[in-house]
Amino acid sequence: MASRGGGGGGDGNSPPPSVSSPDVRPSSPLPATNSSPPQSGRRGGGRRRRGSASPYPSSPSLGGFETPPHPGRRTPSGGAAARQQRQNWTGGRFPPTPSTPMSTDDVPLSSEAGDEDTPETDGGGGGGAGADATPVFVWGTNISVQDVNAAILRFLRHFRDPRDAGRVDPVMDEGKYMRAIHRILELEGGESLDVNAHDVFDHDPDLYGKMVRYPLEVLAIFDIVLMDLVARIEPLFEKHIQTRIYNLKSSVCLRNLNPSDIEKMVSIKGMIIRCSSVIPELKEAVFRCLVCGFYSEPVMVDRGRVTEPHICQKEQCKATNSMTLVHNRCRFADKQIIKLQETPDEIPEGGTPHTVSVLMHDKLVDAGKPGDRVEITGIYRAMSIRVGPTQRTVKSIFKKTDKSRLHVEDSMETDNPNANKTTEDDFLRDKVEKLKELSKLPDIYDRLTRSLAPNIWELDDVKRGLLCQLFGGNALRLPSGASFRGDINILLVGDPGTSKSQLLQYMHKLSPRGIYTSGRGSSAVGLTAYVTKDPETGETVLESGALVLSDKGVCCIDEFDKMSDNARSMLHEVMEQQTVSIAKAGIIASLNARTSVLACANPTESRYNPRLSVIDNIHLPPTLLSRFDLIYLILDKADEQTDRRLAKHIVSLHFENPNIEELEVLDLPTLVAYISYARKHIQPQLSDEAAEELTRGYVEMRKRGNSPGSRKKVITATARQIESLIRLSEALARMRFSEMVEVQDVVEAFRLLEVAMQQSATDHATGTIDMDLIMTGISASERQRRDNLVAATRNLVMEKMQLGGPSVRMIELLEEIRKQSSMEVHLHDLRGALGTLMTEGAVVIHGDSVKRV
Amino acid sequence: MVGPQYDLVGNPLGAVRSTFERAAAESGGHEPVAAFRGKDWGATEVFRSFLFEQGGLDKVPVLDESNLRLIKPNTLVRFRGMVQDMLGNEFYVGAFKDGSTWRTNKFSDSSPFSMPHPCDSHLWERHLFHCVPVPGQNSWTRESSPGPDLRRIASCFTSEQREKRKRGADNDAMDVSESGSGETSSSSKKTLADWESDLNCLTFPQKDDGVKISNSSVEMSMNEEHHVPEMNGGDHHIPGSSFSCLVKVYDMPESQVKLNDVSEFIGVYTFDPELAAPNDNSDDIMFDLMEDVTAQLPPSKVPRLHCLVWRNLSAHDFLPRPPAVEPSPILLRGIRQSLLSHLTLVLGKDELAAQCLLLHLLSRLRNKVDVVTVGRLSLNFTGFNRESVSIFGNQLNNLFQRLLPYSQVIPLSIEYLNTATLQPRKDNQSGRLVTGVLQLPQGTHLTFDETLLQSGSLTSKGVENTMLLKNLMESQKVEYDFEFYKLEMATDVQLLILSEGKSNILPSDLIVPFRPSSVPAVNASSEELESWRWYLATVRSLPQSTETDTYQMIQDEMVNAMRDDRSLGCSELSRWLTMAQIMAASFGEKSLSMEHWQMVKELERLRKERLQ
Repeated sequence: MASRGGGGGGDGNSPPPSVSSPDVRPSSPLPATNSSPPQSGRRGGGRRRRGSASPYPSSPSLGGFETPPHPGRRTPSGGAAARQQRQNWTGGRFPPTPSTPMSTDDVPLSSEAGDEDTPETDGGGGGGAGADATPVFVWGTNISVQDVNAAILRFLRHFRDPRDAGRVDPVMDEGKYMRAIHRILELEGGESLDVNAHDVFDHDPDLYGKMVRYPLEVLAIFDIVLMDLVARIEPLFEKHIQTRIYNLKSSVCLRNLNPSDIEKMVSIKGMIIRCSSVIPELKEAVFRCLVCGFYSEPVMVDRGRVTEPHICQKEQCKATNSMTLVHNRCRFADKQIIKLQETPDEIPEGGTPHTVSVLMHDKLVDAGKPGDRVEITGIYRAMSIRVGPTQRTVKSIFKKTDKSRLHVEDSMETDNPNANKTTEDDFLRDKVEKLKELSKLPDIYDRLTRSLAPNIWELDDVKRGLLCQLFGGNALRLPSGASFRGDINILLVGDPGTSKSQLLQYMHKLSPRGIYTSGRGSSAVGLTAYVTKDPETGETVLESGALVLSDKGVCCIDEFDKMSDNARSMLHEVMEQQTVSIAKAGIIASLNARTSVLACANPTESRYNPRLSVIDNIHLPPTLLSRFDLIYLILDKADEQTDRRLAKHIVSLHFENPNIEELEVLDLPTLVAYISYARKHIQPQLSDEAAEELTRGYVEMRKRGNSPGSRKKVITATARQIESLIRLSEALARMRFSEMVEVQDVVEAFRLLEVAMQQSATDHATGTIDMDLIMTGISASERQRRDNLVAATRNLVMEKMQLGGPSVRMIELLEEIRKQSSMEVHLHDLRGALGTLMTEGAVVIHGDSVKRV
Repeated sequence: MVGPQYDLVGNPLGAVRSTFERAAAESGGHEPVAAFRGKDWGATEVFRSFLFEQGGLDKVPVLDESNLRLIKPNTLVRFRGMVQDMLGNEFYVGAFKDGSTWRTNKFSDSSPFSMPHPCDSHLWERHLFHCVPVPGQNSWTRESSPGPDLRRIASCFTSEQREKRKRGADNDAMDVSESGSGETSSSSKKTLADWESDLNCLTFPQKDDGVKISNSSVEMSMNEEHHVPEMNGGDHHIPGSSFSCLVKVYDMPESQVKLNDVSEFIGVYTFDPELAAPNDNSDDIMFDLMEDVTAQLPPSKVPRLHCLVWRNLSAHDFLPRPPAVEPSPILLRGIRQSLLSHLTLVLGKDELAAQCLLLHLLSRLRNKVDVVTVGRLSLNFTGFNRESVSIFGNQLNNLFQRLLPYSQVIPLSIEYLNTATLQPRKDNQSGRLVTGVLQLPQGTHLTFDETLLQSGSLTSKGVENTMLLKNLMESQKVEYDFEFYKLEMATDVQLLILSEGKSNILPSDLIVPFRPSSVPAVNASSEELESWRWYLATVRSLPQSTETDTYQMIQDEMVNAMRDDRSLGCSELSRWLTMAQIMAASFGEKSLSMEHWQMVKELERLRKERLQ
């Protein structure tokens, strides 16, 4: 006990490093931890009463301050000198609130704490013991050190995680943190005990309040109690275990930190923008006498300052000013300074991000790197800066935080496997709850639709399709190696000015890893991957293009029609196999490109020509078209109703019309969170009914083409469509956070496909859905018409022309055919038919004349 | 109230301190000053009434590059500039107890009273803004904000002031003892000031000389050599000007000032040579990261201004004497006619182009909903070649320079696109925002001369720049590069493009083939110019209201128009409405009527004819 008391005294003098040395430069210690005179219990009480009025004694009593607190290891004169010196540097008493720590007050405390420990655990006996023990208070407050001590001990010993309550576990008779302590002792590695502030709050809200308001003091006590506990369990354990608090109940916005937060425990979120190199910080200095070679006892660094002994302590020597620092016997600790900047979502419009410097100690060094989004719990401190070279009073104080405890939060978008899952869940629980509530809303589907690009006019069904794309289906990989993509590809074809590009931009903003490219500016290698030679080493390097970069995201390709054929053909593999294969310059690789492609294109004649087929309008190879799950034709239809709504929309944009009802929409961050949660956590499976419905619907779709009345053979749906349908239904189930794909999802998927297909695969000659149009570019009826024409031409040629006879002008033939048949025949149709005949070897065409052979 | 016995211009801090002491004495209680945190105790009130009610504003000199060294520290100055960077907030010892008296450090870098060591103090915060002269500011706006003629003042005081400056700079307690003479009413203050100056005499007797020398040498080098090279060396990153000012603003929710706002700050100009001296502490490795960003803005080059009163400036504030007349439609109509005829002359008697240009000049961003911007009207004059640009382009630019508060001409060539820094970028090493060409205040007019564009290849920077420009055109947003992420800042910039054919790099709202029939040779009188400036500023700020009838009428009109021409899309109709609104405003009407709609339709018809 006695020895521990001494150790405690040491600790008391300089509470755990992270807490005690906020000051970076010796020139700038805040007198926040200025020593107070030694107090007896009664004086402490008196001080407390006075503390509320004015925390500091008036200047005449200044001398009292300079009395060394107690004959500790420091020599009295040294301490006084140091303090004197310090006061030359410091400007004044900065902390406006009486939050000065008790510092040396806890010297008696620690031993008392140890003594009192036992009675406290008995519970009832504590009162008597407490009366004996002189109560010590945190300076300037009415917080009793013993109370805090006891509360912490209670917390550590008895806190049980309510979430563990259900589990039957033999270890459960010990509290959560006792187990953690045992683990640390077993591993002998951990130097810190992570304490969830929520646990503290759940167990003892009062302690939580004290901890947040007086972190320096309470954390010091925390560490002492912890060391006591450890020493009791394992007396030989020598490492210092530090308490790290994380997950405070509320976090402060970086720009809202203000003077009242100084010396308080705060939690802030931000992005690391710079890290310093690791700085060794002196913790214990050892001095050697130059005269006699005597090594001094290690001198603790107190608030960034080492008290150099003036006299050699060896009795025989006593030489003055002979002590010199021995570097390799000193103890150093790691320290790092990082700069934290506000994340973009916290910056108000028209503002620039604020930054704050953060000191990281020991194990937290290198815990984060620039670009990381982190949540940091620490003590907010101000550091004075010297403004002039001469010794003047310091006038301005620079904002500094001393964050001793940090918790790196995994940002939602990066999939860092090292992320601490449990803590992330803790942190996100609230958010997730909110999202789940949202998902239970009956109109969530419509609401999501409305929230997607709310300012883009109409196009609700297109937006629904885009939503499906964002949520995506399940990717499947069979044991046989076959894989089915879960990503939904969408093509938007439409008239100029139908806000396709805006939709694309919006999607790009929404999707976690969106890449936006313009077809005109993209080459095949730019989209997929390419091999370059490193100019310095001459090594071949594989560089990823847009599609590989948007792996697990959405790759938006604008002006798809203006892309070179070569580039487009590269997309075939990506869109079905979801890989990019490279085989050149000694590199054979297959890169994942699990990306959804969202492309938009203008019709060939810049406006959609309804008389031409989709293929002719889009002018894309059918092989590629069939890889799009949904092809939307966004057409400007002449419709008074639509026009009127459009007019109303425009007018309401220009005049802030109060009549426009505000529809409930999700804001962008919520939408992003909703989607990323769904993508990550919801893996819906087809229910039996849904599967049945799917089969039924598919059969129906195929049947529709063979319905009696249309003699023409029309292929209505293909196997690719059924895959699309499954993906769409899965995405729809995800939107509801449902693990099951229900019948309603399948029905809606069919509807979406129908809406898209009816527009895009309508055969303008027959008016029915015609997949051949997509598959080959020629509709069944068109094909039939051509066949008829070829037959008619053949007959004509056989009838009118003789073998080897004179050639006939094409115009004449055309007139003949027009006379014969009821069909409307154009010259180019005839030319096509004759072309077919020529391949059959029936005729020869020389420019404009036809000759039978 | 503090009487006029204070020289508020010459010794503003005296007034600040005495009001503080009075307020502290009055508030009583054991924490008399705690209530003053983030609040004003009546000091700014004194200045406000002095400046705006007693006409003191004209006596306050305007701080700019030319008179920087003529102005005495710790005096009241005005500064007009754009908030180029926000440097966060700074804590300072706002109030401390000196013996039994509370003192304040507000509105100053340093206190003339030394702080006793353990003493009661209060930490307050203030916001730091890095302000620069407004990019593209036209010279007429400067004439209209005349402070007292500093040259004149300087010539009377020069010798005296130089000396005072040195003394004051060495030891600002001297200022206090000076001002103390004016404050004989406050006896305690007097004694303190005396005590203070005594103390200073004791403490710094021999140091004075040394500092004086170093100080003057700092000034010399600052004035002669350092200025220009520093600038071009990219310290401030402001093209064409090395001058900037660090403004410290008190008691204000930060959101009130936005980046790129043009504001006038009236406050105390401080200069402390001790602060100006180079920091010798750079050997400390960690100091780099802990360093205050202001350390890179040495006071010797960047003056400090402790702002007492500030206001945002609009185009109206640059008009010399805003006519007190109500902007009546008749008056505005008259000015509109004269401006329009002038524009027609400048544009070589091309009336259609003049009409469009007028609408363009009156456009402003009204509303921004997500990606849709309402109210902008960028203009593209096609049919220019190098010769006609040199004639008409220059005429236009001259006109803009004399009509608009901020305007810039950007020659759009391959080389420019590949080399220019358009995008503002945050330098995380120094913690500052490095400005780019596109960091512009609201309401700037930009003219792009695309006739210089030749075929050539763009580097990646060039591509980035074109994307930025396109984004600016389409959504009135500029992306600022914050290294780890991009942040979009809203802007309101009028864009005019002069090109040979339709510009594809900068897709404008309105494309007008330019058909001049004569060579411009016009000059406007200064009265005319003044009235036009007033007209432009007034019409742009005119409120707009709509009756439900118009609302309905326009909808019908649009539906009809769409029926007639299927090629009309959302963007065209939206533009028509914008033009109609501006047209109505240009006549001084508060609401849109059928007449204006028809005028716009007619304009569009003429324009379409030309396009074919």
